[in-house]
Amino acid sequence: MTPALRPHPAATIVTGAAGWLGTALMHALTAPASPWHREGVIRPLVTNRVEADALRALGERIEPVIGDLTSPATLVPLGAGLTGVVDVLHTAGVIHPRTIADFEAINTGGTMAMLALAEQIGARRFVHVSSNSPFGTNAHPGDRFRNDEPYHPYFGYGRSKMHAELAVFDAVERGLDAVIVRPPWFYGPHQPPRQTTFFTMVRRGKFPIIGRGDQMRSMVYVDNLVQGLVRAELVPTPAGRGWWIADARPYAITEIVETVGRALTAEGFEVTPNRTRVPALVGRVAEFADGVIQRTGRYQQQIHVLGEMDKTIACDIEVARIELGYDPEIELYEGMRRSIRWCIERGLEL
Amino acid sequence: MRFVDPRPHHDCQVLVIGSGAGGATTAAILAEAGHDVLIVEEGPWVEQGSVVPFSLEQMDRQYRAGGVTVALGRPSIAYTEGRCAGGGTEINSGLYRRPSEGTLERWRRQTTIADFTDDEFYAACDEIEIALSVQTVPGRHTPASERLRDGAAALGWAHDEIPRWMSYPAGGDASTGKRESMTRTFLPRAAAAGAAMLVEHRVERIVRDRDRAFRAELTGPEGQPVTVDFDVVVVCGGAIQSPALLQRSGWRGLVGKGLAVHPTVKLSARFDAPVNVVDDVPVHQVKEFSPDLSFGGSASQPGLVALSLSDHWPLMRDAVTSWRDIAVYYAAITSEGRGRVTAVPAMRDPLVTYRLTGRDRALLGQGLARLALVMLEAGALEVYPSFRDAPIVRKRADLADATAMFRAATASVMTVHLCSTVPMGEDRTRAATDSMGRVHGAENVYVNDASLLPDAPGVNPQASVMAIAMRNARRLAERLT
Repeated sequence: MTPALRPHPAATIVTGAAGWLGTALMHALTAPASPWHREGVIRPLVTNRVEADALRALGERIEPVIGDLTSPATLVPLGAGLTGVVDVLHTAGVIHPRTIADFEAINTGGTMAMLALAEQIGARRFVHVSSNSPFGTNAHPGDRFRNDEPYHPYFGYGRSKMHAELAVFDAVERGLDAVIVRPPWFYGPHQPPRQTTFFTMVRRGKFPIIGRGDQMRSMVYVDNLVQGLVRAELVPTPAGRGWWIADARPYAITEIVETVGRALTAEGFEVTPNRTRVPALVGRVAEFADGVIQRTGRYQQQIHVLGEMDKTIACDIEVARIELGYDPEIELYEGMRRSIRWCIERGLEL
Repeated sequence: MRFVDPRPHHDCQVLVIGSGAGGATTAAILAEAGHDVLIVEEGPWVEQGSVVPFSLEQMDRQYRAGGVTVALGRPSIAYTEGRCAGGGTEINSGLYRRPSEGTLERWRRQTTIADFTDDEFYAACDEIEIALSVQTVPGRHTPASERLRDGAAALGWAHDEIPRWMSYPAGGDASTGKRESMTRTFLPRAAAAGAAMLVEHRVERIVRDRDRAFRAELTGPEGQPVTVDFDVVVVCGGAIQSPALLQRSGWRGLVGKGLAVHPTVKLSARFDAPVNVVDDVPVHQVKEFSPDLSFGGSASQPGLVALSLSDHWPLMRDAVTSWRDIAVYYAAITSEGRGRVTAVPAMRDPLVTYRLTGRDRALLGQGLARLALVMLEAGALEVYPSFRDAPIVRKRADLADATAMFRAATASVMTVHLCSTVPMGEDRTRAATDSMGRVHGAENVYVNDASLLPDAPGVNPQASVMAIAMRNARRLAERLT
């Protein structure tokens, strides 16, 4: 039985609203045809005027606030003058930062600042968007992360997201109704440029498959994630719960590359068969290098991603299905086709 | 038991070497089929109940080498073997689990075992379960067992109670069970059918004339040489001693090469109330990640609690005084690695090596962390993982430190389930004996113990060992008639 959803709040605060997930979420909350369309005030947090103007165009009830998560005073307008039920959807975070210090400042510090704000305004529910990174990687391709797992953070990002989760649990102890959604690697419209690179690599047959390619990856199509996030907000579960929100099943790396290749072909691209195999050792070297670089407080995106490519990161969404009625509708092939079409419509070079 | 007086020479039709799960079963089946059976056992006969289970005295009297031997590797893996009448069945936890149909099918294919049906195998299990009164605990479980169960339940992880070969008085609970080991079951059965037993005699070598063996050379309790002449010999010394004896006797090839174990890592957990039961072990296991990972409870008498804290003694030693509130638990993995048993000239014990794979190491770490999470959910105040310089885990955030610091190479890895050193099957490139345990290249030399399993069963192995021993002993009895 699908759990019943509570009424929409009078006001919704959305952080990271100009980000990948945030943009998709804002569209889902405001588009008339969207199953997640809601009335009421929406206060997105953005970092600059250009982002604010883009969101204001979505309607009069959208009241963007320009602020900085590392500067709590700038967040005050998010909660000012709101009446009635307020929910907070905290999607903001940094995954590929300039320096390692940004991880803690934004992911942990920013979450603490938002939790404090939610406590101040008496929010009905706070939904924190976490990650797979606090839990590291699976020991082998057959393993699946269960809903509850021991922390084993993967480098600086993982540690900062773990600290953010711990801050959420502390707030729950203090009485805030907060829950956590944990998406793995996501894909879909509104993607940032690094994901376009991914399509280009696959199209040219140059995506580096490390080792046997049987390592598994959970991924989540961004609209599936929006569904999970809104359900986490509206299903009246106990506070302090956390759920994996991912596609129905994890995919092998080889399947991901093959499926993206098919999706590109179906959208009219000429795809070179992928023969780029990299010895498993390269992945281990990259992981080691990533660790060394991060210990010096710096961050190198390509090295980090390469170091992670030989790992299995796969989760089991069963508990989200049961407790939230979460039902991921889009699978990899369809999701990738939509993603590619979105790029084409925006004139992005693949 | 009908013990044979020490003499310089004995004759028999069938010589059974070893009296554990494999040897006792073999001896009983053959004796009941009317064959003249002599059982030789290296260790002493110790009545069940005359020493405290899991005690130091028991280690001294009933274990090989005082309790611990080591398979060399990085990390080295400590293992224990019984060395007494009844072998491992006298000293282990008594946990009994049938291997799955999937495991039987894997074995059948792996070494091409002929005429090996599920029906026959499980019918043997039925018989064994009656003979050993395999059952779950009728009354209350031990506190340590209940904690493990409750922790798993809180996480929504699959768990169950493993039946044991135990008998209980009416209305008894976990602590009143009596172990239905080989000295109380199959060895008396063998004796009732006429089998004789020679204890505290070690078989040094089997003497052969080309493919036919005819004599065993033994050392008696006073160090005196003894010989036994036989028509057929069945080697049931367990997965370390059986291949070592065969190698000393000139059968090499695949013998000793495929050692398979369930490597385990441990932790101890301190609760807010007494959980320690010195003479019993938990019967619950967490099966959520089965067969890759299983969690269960270990023997926890004070010496073993101290041992489990010794990996980071300066940090953890204070906990020893609270040993009554502490129980030891393990995380076991099915390993992709393999090991080797090699008899070394002039050395009493063989050289044993084992190599864990990268996946095995990662799984040990993940298993230990998940087990620690079970303990926190079960209400543990402190968790002490067993690896060098491990931190004390008091809350979830501490698990991040523990997982970051874990290295399989510095963990106290041990095992109790040793097998697969003389695998059976028709495929001579993979199996060291035929499908009934007769050593390839020998006319009348059989193996009938844990060595025959093509790989580790992923569950407590005694059911597998005994069911295969029963099957093979019946075939042999027919062949001899």
